[in-house]
Amino acid sequence: MGLVSKDRLRAKLKNGDTTVRVLLSHPMHTGRAKNSAGELIAAEFIQDIRCWRNDVEILTMKCGTATAKNPYFSFQLVAGKAGDKISLRWVDNLGTKGLAETMVK
Amino acid sequence: MVKEVDQHRRQVLKGAISASTIALVAASGLLLPQRLLAHWPKNAFNAETVEDALLALLDEAEVAEDSAISFKVGTPPSYAVNGASVPVQILSELENIERIAILVEKNPFPLAMSLDVTEAVKLPFKTMIKIREDSNVIAIVRADGKLYKTSRFVEVDIGGCG
Repeated sequence: MGLVSKDRLRAKLKNGDTTVRVLLSHPMHTGRAKNSAGELIAAEFIQDIRCWRNDVEILTMKCGTATAKNPYFSFQLVAGKAGDKISLRWVDNLGTKGLAETMVK
Repeated sequence: MVKEVDQHRRQVLKGAISASTIALVAASGLLLPQRLLAHWPKNAFNAETVEDALLALLDEAEVAEDSAISFKVGTPPSYAVNGASVPVQILSELENIERIAILVEKNPFPLAMSLDVTEAVKLPFKTMIKIREDSNVIAIVRADGKLYKTSRFVEVDIGGCG
């Protein structure tokens, strides 16, 4: 399926620290839900999310099926300055990958 | 006679196909998914109890209940209308946090999320999770090699794992 570009990544300076907000666009099927025909929908969920600041890896998130649809995350980074590059990559259980990048404002 | 030959040919073909399929799967298994998912702790995420998940994830399940972590679940807190996306917020005053895990006790697979944190990351951490039914939600934090745990009971109106 290739790269998905609907993912949103925002980073903002707030009181000297950086606040990062992530909203990924992904159905996050658990493999337990059924469609209208009563068939199970195959599992499809993000497993691994990695996050970098200026090419230094800062955070790894491992997700199970219990992560909500269109996953949302928010966290803070110590210090930082405007123009820092925040980047993020994710991989789901089927091998689909996503990439998002932003500059700190 | 023709039929027999045919049968034999089929078997030979079948064997050849399955052999090549196995070889292909093995090769791709070694090359692709392993590289991509090398660090996804499958045992931990497929564990069906909180203890098993913690053992698989952290090699230990001995935790100190502690007030050093504070934890908000649900909107409004401790109640969630829709179990398919329950907001969770984790806050802590602890230093040297190495790992954070979020578990939902009564979900089919309790482990919802596991974070590897570096010193550049500061809490609060916010996210949304699915909760199947009224259940304890547990946050585990490993800091300085010790495990800290806090939990909160959440009521759910509509289950979120169906």
